Amino acid sequence: MKNDARTRSARRLKRWTSRSIGSQFQHRIFYALIRAGGIHLAYPLLYAVVFYYMTCRPSIRQKTAFYLEKRFPQKSAAQRFADSYRISMTLGKVLIERAKAGIRGPETLKLSFPAKARLFGLLEENRGLILMNAHVGGWQVILPALPSLGRPVKMLIERDAQDVDLHYYEHARRPRPFAAIDPKGFLGGSLEMMDALERGEILCVMGDRVFGSDKNVIHVPFLGKRAVFPFSAFKIASVSGAPVAVFFSHRIGPNRYGIEIPDVIRVPAGLGRSPRAFGPYVHRFVAALDAYTREHPYQFFNFYDMWTES
Amino acid sequence: MDIKTKLKTIIVEELNFEDLTPAEILNDVPLFGDGLGLDSLDAVELVVQIQKHFGVKIKNMEEGRTAFQSVNALAAFIAERLPE
Repeated sequence: MKNDARTRSARRLKRWTSRSIGSQFQHRIFYALIRAGGIHLAYPLLYAVVFYYMTCRPSIRQKTAFYLEKRFPQKSAAQRFADSYRISMTLGKVLIERAKAGIRGPETLKLSFPAKARLFGLLEENRGLILMNAHVGGWQVILPALPSLGRPVKMLIERDAQDVDLHYYEHARRPRPFAAIDPKGFLGGSLEMMDALERGEILCVMGDRVFGSDKNVIHVPFLGKRAVFPFSAFKIASVSGAPVAVFFSHRIGPNRYGIEIPDVIRVPAGLGRSPRAFGPYVHRFVAALDAYTREHPYQFFNFYDMWTES
Repeated sequence: MDIKTKLKTIIVEELNFEDLTPAEILNDVPLFGDGLGLDSLDAVELVVQIQKHFGVKIKNMEEGRTAFQSVNALAAFIAERLPE
Protein backbone atom coordinates (compact mmCIF):
# COMPACT_ATOMS: atom_id res chain seq x y z
CA MET A 1 0.00 0.00 0.00
CA LYS A 2 2.77 2.39 1.07
CA ASN A 3 4.77 1.44 -2.02
CA ASP A 4 1.78 2.18 -4.26
CA ALA A 5 1.45 5.64 -2.72
CA ARG A 6 5.16 6.24 -3.17
CA THR A 7 5.00 5.16 -6.82
CA ARG A 8 2.02 7.44 -7.44
CA SER A 9 3.85 10.32 -5.79
CA ALA A 10 6.98 9.68 -7.87
CA ARG A 11 4.89 9.58 -11.05
CA ARG A 12 3.26 12.88 -10.15
CA LEU A 13 6.69 14.48 -9.75
CA LYS A 14 7.94 13.14 -13.06
CA ARG A 15 4.86 14.25 -14.94
CA TRP A 16 4.69 17.83 -16.03
CA THR A 17 1.77 20.03 -15.01
CA SER A 18 1.13 23.76 -15.30
CA ARG A 19 -0.71 23.66 -11.95
CA SER A 20 0.33 26.63 -9.79
CA ILE A 21 2.13 26.33 -6.49
CA GLY A 22 0.05 28.10 -3.88
CA SER A 23 -3.59 29.11 -3.86
CA GLN A 24 -5.30 31.95 -5.67
CA PHE A 25 -5.48 33.80 -2.33
CA GLN A 26 -1.72 33.53 -1.83
CA HIS A 27 -1.09 34.84 -5.35
CA ARG A 28 -3.40 37.77 -4.63
CA ILE A 29 -1.33 38.77 -1.60
CA PHE A 30 1.66 39.17 -3.91
CA TYR A 31 -0.43 41.14 -6.44
CA ALA A 32 -1.62 43.46 -3.63
CA LEU A 33 1.95 44.07 -2.48
CA ILE A 34 3.04 44.86 -6.04
CA ARG A 35 0.16 47.31 -6.38
CA ALA A 36 1.04 48.95 -3.07
CA GLY A 37 4.79 49.23 -3.40
CA GLY A 38 6.12 47.49 -6.49
CA ILE A 39 8.42 44.51 -6.65
CA HIS A 40 10.57 45.59 -3.70
CA LEU A 41 7.63 45.12 -1.36
CA ALA A 42 6.89 41.68 -2.81
CA TYR A 43 10.47 40.34 -2.72
CA PRO A 44 10.76 40.02 1.13
CA LEU A 45 7.63 37.87 1.22
CA LEU A 46 9.01 35.85 -1.66
CA TYR A 47 12.17 35.03 0.34
CA ALA A 48 10.05 33.73 3.20
CA VAL A 49 7.67 31.76 0.96
CA VAL A 50 10.50 30.11 -0.97
CA PHE A 51 12.28 29.24 2.29
CA TYR A 52 9.06 27.62 3.55
CA TYR A 53 8.67 25.52 0.39
CA MET A 54 12.34 24.52 0.42
CA THR A 55 12.29 23.36 4.04
CA CYS A 56 8.75 22.04 4.49
CA ARG A 57 7.83 20.74 1.03
CA PRO A 58 10.55 18.36 -0.17
CA SER A 59 8.52 17.59 -3.32
CA ILE A 60 9.17 21.14 -4.52
CA ARG A 61 12.89 20.72 -3.91
CA GLN A 62 12.80 17.40 -5.74
CA LYS A 63 11.35 19.11 -8.82
CA THR A 64 14.46 21.26 -9.14
CA ALA A 65 16.72 18.29 -8.36
CA PHE A 66 16.02 16.53 -11.67
CA TYR A 67 17.92 19.33 -13.41
CA LEU A 68 20.43 20.29 -10.73
CA GLU A 69 21.69 16.70 -10.31
CA LYS A 70 22.64 16.66 -14.00
CA ARG A 71 23.93 20.21 -14.21
CA PHE A 72 26.03 20.01 -11.03
CA PRO A 73 26.62 16.29 -10.40
CA GLN A 74 29.64 16.94 -8.17
CA LYS A 75 27.83 19.10 -5.62
CA SER A 76 26.99 18.01 -2.07
CA ALA A 77 23.47 17.79 -0.65
CA ALA A 78 23.94 21.11 1.19
CA GLN A 79 25.14 22.85 -1.96
CA ARG A 80 22.21 21.36 -3.87
CA PHE A 81 19.81 22.71 -1.26
CA ALA A 82 21.32 26.17 -1.78
CA ASP A 83 21.07 25.79 -5.56
CA SER A 84 17.46 24.68 -5.30
CA TYR A 85 16.72 27.75 -3.18
CA ARG A 86 18.50 29.99 -5.67
CA ILE A 87 16.70 28.61 -8.73
CA SER A 88 13.31 28.81 -6.98
CA MET A 89 14.01 32.40 -5.91
CA THR A 90 14.92 33.36 -9.47
CA LEU A 91 11.69 31.86 -10.78
CA GLY A 92 9.77 33.67 -8.03
CA LYS A 93 11.30 36.99 -9.05
CA VAL A 94 10.45 36.32 -12.71
CA LEU A 95 6.82 35.67 -11.74
CA ILE A 96 6.68 38.81 -9.58
CA GLU A 97 8.09 40.89 -12.43
CA ARG A 98 5.59 39.36 -14.82
CA ALA A 99 2.80 40.35 -12.44
CA LYS A 100 4.26 43.86 -12.21
CA ALA A 101 4.24 44.12 -16.01
CA GLY A 102 0.56 43.22 -15.88
CA ILE A 103 -0.38 45.52 -13.02
CA ARG A 104 1.74 48.56 -13.84
CA GLY A 105 2.05 48.03 -17.59
CA PRO A 106 4.54 46.14 -19.81
CA GLU A 107 6.43 49.39 -20.45
CA THR A 108 7.94 48.96 -16.96
CA LEU A 109 10.04 46.09 -18.38
CA LYS A 110 13.38 46.71 -20.02
CA LEU A 111 13.75 44.17 -22.83
CA SER A 112 17.00 43.93 -24.72
CA PHE A 113 16.30 42.33 -28.09
CA PRO A 114 19.32 42.85 -30.37
CA ALA A 115 18.42 39.84 -32.55
CA LYS A 116 15.12 41.38 -33.62
CA ALA A 117 16.55 42.47 -36.99
CA ARG A 118 17.49 38.86 -37.71
CA LEU A 119 13.89 37.79 -37.08
CA PHE A 120 12.60 40.49 -39.44
CA GLY A 121 14.89 39.03 -42.10
CA LEU A 122 13.43 35.55 -41.55
CA LEU A 123 9.87 36.89 -41.68
CA GLU A 124 10.56 38.53 -45.02
CA GLU A 125 10.99 35.06 -46.52
CA ASN A 126 7.19 34.71 -46.11
CA ARG A 127 7.30 31.08 -45.07
CA GLY A 128 6.16 31.78 -41.55
CA LEU A 129 8.49 31.57 -38.57
CA ILE A 130 8.68 29.07 -35.74
CA LEU A 131 10.00 30.56 -32.50
CA MET A 132 11.23 27.65 -30.43
CA ASN A 133 11.29 28.63 -26.81
CA ALA A 134 12.12 26.71 -23.64
CA HIS A 135 11.22 27.01 -19.98
CA VAL A 136 14.16 29.24 -19.25
CA GLY A 137 14.71 32.84 -18.16
CA GLY A 138 11.68 35.04 -18.60
CA TRP A 139 9.77 33.10 -21.24
CA GLN A 140 6.50 34.45 -19.85
CA VAL A 141 7.79 37.96 -19.15
CA ILE A 142 8.97 38.66 -22.68
CA LEU A 143 5.55 38.12 -24.27
CA PRO A 144 5.07 41.92 -24.65
CA ALA A 145 7.95 41.83 -27.18
CA LEU A 146 5.99 39.66 -29.61
CA PRO A 147 3.70 42.34 -31.13
CA SER A 148 6.79 44.36 -32.09
CA LEU A 149 7.56 41.68 -34.70
CA GLY A 150 4.62 42.97 -36.72
CA ARG A 151 2.99 39.63 -37.55
CA PRO A 152 0.15 37.72 -35.88
CA VAL A 153 1.46 35.24 -33.33
CA LYS A 154 0.03 31.79 -32.61
CA MET A 155 1.18 29.89 -29.55
CA LEU A 156 0.87 26.22 -28.73
CA ILE A 157 -0.13 26.45 -25.09
CA GLU A 158 -1.59 24.05 -22.57
CA ARG A 159 -3.05 25.39 -19.35
CA ASP A 160 -4.05 23.41 -16.31
CA ALA A 161 -7.43 24.31 -14.76
CA GLN A 162 -5.58 24.69 -11.46
CA ASP A 163 -3.09 27.17 -12.88
CA VAL A 164 -4.20 30.27 -10.95
CA ASP A 165 -1.16 32.40 -11.72
CA LEU A 166 -2.05 35.19 -14.13
CA HIS A 167 -0.25 36.05 -17.35
CA TYR A 168 0.69 39.73 -17.58
CA TYR A 169 -2.15 40.55 -20.00
CA GLU A 170 -4.74 38.99 -17.66
CA HIS A 171 -4.14 41.51 -14.86
CA ALA A 172 -5.64 44.54 -16.58
CA ARG A 173 -7.59 42.72 -19.31
CA ARG A 174 -5.07 43.76 -21.93
CA PRO A 175 -5.31 42.16 -25.35
CA ARG A 176 -3.49 38.86 -25.45
CA PRO A 177 -0.39 39.24 -27.66
CA PHE A 178 -1.00 35.86 -29.28
CA ALA A 179 -3.77 33.46 -30.29
CA ALA A 180 -3.63 30.12 -28.49
CA ILE A 181 -3.56 26.74 -30.19
CA ASP A 182 -4.60 23.91 -27.90
CA PRO A 183 -2.27 20.90 -28.14
CA LYS A 184 -5.11 18.76 -26.77
CA GLY A 185 -7.26 19.74 -29.76
CA PHE A 186 -7.92 17.62 -32.85
CA LEU A 187 -4.62 16.26 -34.24
CA GLY A 188 -2.72 18.25 -31.63
CA GLY A 189 -3.52 21.57 -33.31
CA SER A 190 -1.28 20.64 -36.24
CA LEU A 191 -3.73 21.96 -38.88
CA GLU A 192 -3.93 25.36 -37.19
CA MET A 193 -0.15 25.50 -36.91
CA MET A 194 0.29 24.76 -40.62
CA ASP A 195 -2.36 27.30 -41.54
CA ALA A 196 -0.65 30.04 -39.50
CA LEU A 197 2.74 29.38 -41.10
CA GLU A 198 1.27 29.34 -44.57
CA ARG A 199 -0.07 32.83 -43.90
CA GLY A 200 3.43 33.99 -42.95
CA GLU A 201 2.60 34.21 -39.24
CA ILE A 202 4.71 33.41 -36.19
CA LEU A 203 4.25 30.14 -34.35
CA CYS A 204 5.62 29.85 -30.80
CA VAL A 205 6.32 26.39 -29.46
CA MET A 206 8.23 25.00 -26.49
CA GLY A 207 11.08 22.79 -27.63
CA ASP A 208 11.69 21.23 -24.20
CA ARG A 209 8.21 19.99 -23.31
CA VAL A 210 6.19 17.05 -24.51
CA PHE A 211 2.51 17.88 -24.53
CA GLY A 212 -0.12 15.36 -23.46
CA SER A 213 0.20 12.02 -25.19
CA ASP A 214 2.42 13.26 -28.02
CA LYS A 215 4.35 10.22 -29.18
CA ASN A 216 6.53 12.22 -31.54
CA VAL A 217 9.56 12.31 -29.30
CA ILE A 218 13.16 11.27 -29.46
CA HIS A 219 15.81 10.82 -26.81
CA VAL A 220 18.83 13.07 -27.03
CA PRO A 221 21.75 13.52 -24.62
CA PHE A 222 21.21 16.63 -22.51
CA LEU A 223 23.57 17.52 -19.66
CA GLY A 224 25.18 14.12 -19.95
CA LYS A 225 22.09 11.89 -19.89
CA ARG A 226 19.43 10.93 -22.41
CA ALA A 227 16.39 13.16 -22.15
CA VAL A 228 13.12 13.23 -24.03
CA PHE A 229 12.38 16.01 -26.53
CA PRO A 230 9.53 16.52 -29.00
CA PHE A 231 10.29 16.70 -32.72
CA SER A 232 6.83 17.68 -34.05
CA ALA A 233 7.81 21.30 -34.65
CA PHE A 234 10.73 20.19 -36.82
CA LYS A 235 8.39 18.02 -38.90
CA ILE A 236 6.10 21.04 -39.33
CA ALA A 237 9.13 23.13 -40.33
CA SER A 238 10.12 20.47 -42.88
CA VAL A 239 6.68 20.38 -44.46
CA SER A 240 6.01 24.14 -44.36
CA GLY A 241 9.53 25.39 -45.15
CA ALA A 242 9.39 27.72 -42.13
CA PRO A 243 12.72 28.41 -40.40
CA VAL A 244 13.01 27.54 -36.71
CA ALA A 245 14.55 30.31 -34.60
CA VAL A 246 15.73 29.17 -31.18
CA PHE A 247 14.32 31.90 -28.96
CA PHE A 248 15.66 32.14 -25.42
CA SER A 249 15.50 34.85 -22.80
CA HIS A 250 17.36 35.48 -19.58
CA ARG A 251 16.87 37.67 -16.56
CA ILE A 252 19.55 40.34 -16.32
CA GLY A 253 18.27 42.04 -13.15
CA PRO A 254 15.07 43.45 -11.66
CA ASN A 255 12.63 44.05 -14.56
CA ARG A 256 15.45 43.60 -17.09
CA TYR A 257 15.52 40.76 -19.59
CA GLY A 258 17.57 39.84 -22.63
CA ILE A 259 16.21 37.97 -25.65
CA GLU A 260 18.60 35.99 -27.80
CA ILE A 261 18.48 33.85 -30.96
CA PRO A 262 21.35 31.38 -30.51
CA ASP A 263 20.52 29.39 -33.65
CA VAL A 264 18.27 29.36 -36.71
CA ILE A 265 17.52 25.82 -37.85
CA ARG A 266 16.35 25.03 -41.37
CA VAL A 267 14.81 21.62 -41.89
CA PRO A 268 14.76 20.24 -45.44
CA ALA A 269 11.60 18.78 -47.00
CA GLY A 270 10.98 15.08 -47.57
CA LEU A 271 12.40 13.65 -44.35
CA GLY A 272 9.64 11.04 -44.09
CA ARG A 273 8.11 9.50 -40.97
CA SER A 274 11.13 8.23 -39.09
CA PRO A 275 11.85 10.12 -35.84
CA ARG A 276 15.54 9.50 -36.48
CA ALA A 277 15.43 11.81 -39.51
CA PHE A 278 14.65 14.73 -37.18
CA GLY A 279 17.38 13.85 -34.70
CA PRO A 280 20.04 16.25 -36.07
CA TYR A 281 17.67 19.23 -35.72
CA VAL A 282 16.57 18.30 -32.20
CA HIS A 283 20.28 17.92 -31.36
CA ARG A 284 20.93 21.50 -32.48
CA PHE A 285 18.15 22.82 -30.28
CA VAL A 286 19.43 20.78 -27.33
CA ALA A 287 22.98 22.03 -27.95
CA ALA A 288 21.68 25.61 -27.68
CA LEU A 289 19.80 24.70 -24.49
CA ASP A 290 22.89 23.03 -23.07
CA ALA A 291 24.95 26.17 -23.77
CA TYR A 292 22.23 28.28 -22.17
CA THR A 293 22.33 26.28 -18.92
CA ARG A 294 26.08 26.80 -18.76
CA GLU A 295 25.70 30.55 -19.17
CA HIS A 296 22.60 30.91 -16.98
CA PRO A 297 22.62 27.84 -14.71
CA TYR A 298 19.95 29.15 -12.34
CA GLN A 299 17.41 30.13 -14.99
CA PHE A 300 16.29 26.67 -16.13
CA PHE A 301 12.70 26.16 -14.96
CA ASN A 302 11.58 22.93 -16.56
CA PHE A 303 10.64 21.23 -13.30
CA TYR A 304 9.94 17.69 -14.34
CA ASP A 305 12.02 14.63 -15.07
CA MET A 306 12.98 14.93 -18.73
CA TRP A 307 15.59 12.25 -18.10
CA THR A 308 12.98 9.67 -17.29
CA GLU A 309 13.83 6.06 -18.16
CA SER A 310 13.80 5.66 -21.92
CA MET B 1 -7.00 7.91 -61.65
CA ASP B 2 -10.02 8.68 -59.42
CA ILE B 3 -9.69 10.73 -56.24
CA LYS B 4 -9.82 7.74 -53.86
CA THR B 5 -7.10 5.81 -55.70
CA LYS B 6 -4.93 8.91 -55.92
CA LEU B 7 -5.41 9.54 -52.20
CA LYS B 8 -4.38 6.00 -51.33
CA THR B 9 -1.28 6.33 -53.50
CA ILE B 10 -0.39 9.61 -51.77
CA ILE B 11 -0.81 8.00 -48.33
CA VAL B 12 1.47 5.09 -49.23
CA GLU B 13 4.09 6.96 -51.23
CA GLU B 14 4.28 10.42 -49.68
CA LEU B 15 3.74 9.30 -46.09
CA ASN B 16 6.21 6.44 -46.55
CA PHE B 17 4.01 3.49 -45.62
CA GLU B 18 6.45 0.86 -46.79
CA ASP B 19 4.45 -2.12 -45.53
CA LEU B 20 1.18 -1.14 -47.19
CA THR B 21 -0.09 -0.99 -50.78
CA PRO B 22 -2.80 1.43 -51.98
CA ALA B 23 -5.13 -1.50 -52.67
CA GLU B 24 -4.95 -2.60 -49.04
CA ILE B 25 -6.40 0.68 -47.75
CA LEU B 26 -10.14 0.31 -47.32
CA ASN B 27 -12.39 3.24 -48.21
CA ASP B 28 -14.28 3.36 -44.91
CA VAL B 29 -11.48 2.69 -42.42
CA PRO B 30 -10.69 5.64 -40.07
CA LEU B 31 -7.46 7.29 -41.19
CA PHE B 32 -6.29 8.19 -37.67
CA GLY B 33 -6.04 6.34 -34.38
CA ASP B 34 -7.08 2.70 -34.41
CA GLY B 35 -7.83 2.61 -38.14
CA LEU B 36 -4.98 3.20 -40.54
CA GLY B 37 -2.91 4.57 -37.64
CA LEU B 38 -1.96 7.97 -39.03
CA ASP B 39 -0.96 10.59 -36.45
CA SER B 40 -0.94 14.37 -36.19
CA LEU B 41 2.32 14.72 -38.12
CA ASP B 42 1.00 12.51 -40.93
CA ALA B 43 -1.94 14.93 -41.03
CA VAL B 44 0.48 17.81 -41.60
CA GLU B 45 2.08 15.98 -44.52
CA LEU B 46 -1.31 14.92 -45.89
CA VAL B 47 -2.62 18.50 -45.80
CA VAL B 48 0.34 19.66 -47.89
CA GLN B 49 0.05 16.79 -50.37
CA ILE B 50 -3.70 17.34 -50.82
CA GLN B 51 -3.05 20.98 -51.54
CA LYS B 52 -0.26 20.09 -53.96
CA HIS B 53 -2.14 17.37 -55.86
CA PHE B 54 -5.73 18.70 -55.73
CA GLY B 55 -5.40 22.42 -54.95
CA VAL B 56 -7.68 21.94 -51.94
CA LYS B 57 -6.80 23.28 -48.48
CA ILE B 58 -7.79 21.81 -45.12
CA LYS B 59 -7.12 24.68 -42.78
CA ASN B 60 -8.61 24.04 -39.38
CA MET B 61 -9.85 21.54 -36.84
CA GLU B 62 -13.49 21.64 -38.01
CA GLU B 63 -12.60 20.91 -41.63
CA GLY B 64 -10.07 18.30 -40.56
CA ARG B 65 -12.59 16.46 -38.40
CA THR B 66 -14.92 16.12 -41.37
CA ALA B 67 -12.33 15.34 -44.00
CA PHE B 68 -10.04 12.96 -42.12
CA GLN B 69 -12.66 10.40 -41.11
CA SER B 70 -11.83 7.99 -43.93
CA VAL B 71 -10.75 7.82 -47.58
CA ASN B 72 -14.44 8.12 -48.51
CA ALA B 73 -14.88 11.29 -46.42
CA LEU B 74 -11.64 12.82 -47.65
CA ALA B 75 -12.47 12.13 -51.28
CA ALA B 76 -15.91 13.70 -50.84
CA PHE B 77 -14.35 16.76 -49.15
CA ILE B 78 -11.92 17.18 -52.03
CA ALA B 79 -14.54 16.59 -54.74
CA GLU B 80 -16.73 19.38 -53.31
CA ARG B 81 -13.85 21.86 -53.37
CA LEU B 82 -11.93 20.95 -56.51
CA PRO B 83 -11.03 24.10 -58.43
CA GLU B 84 -12.97 24.49 -61.70
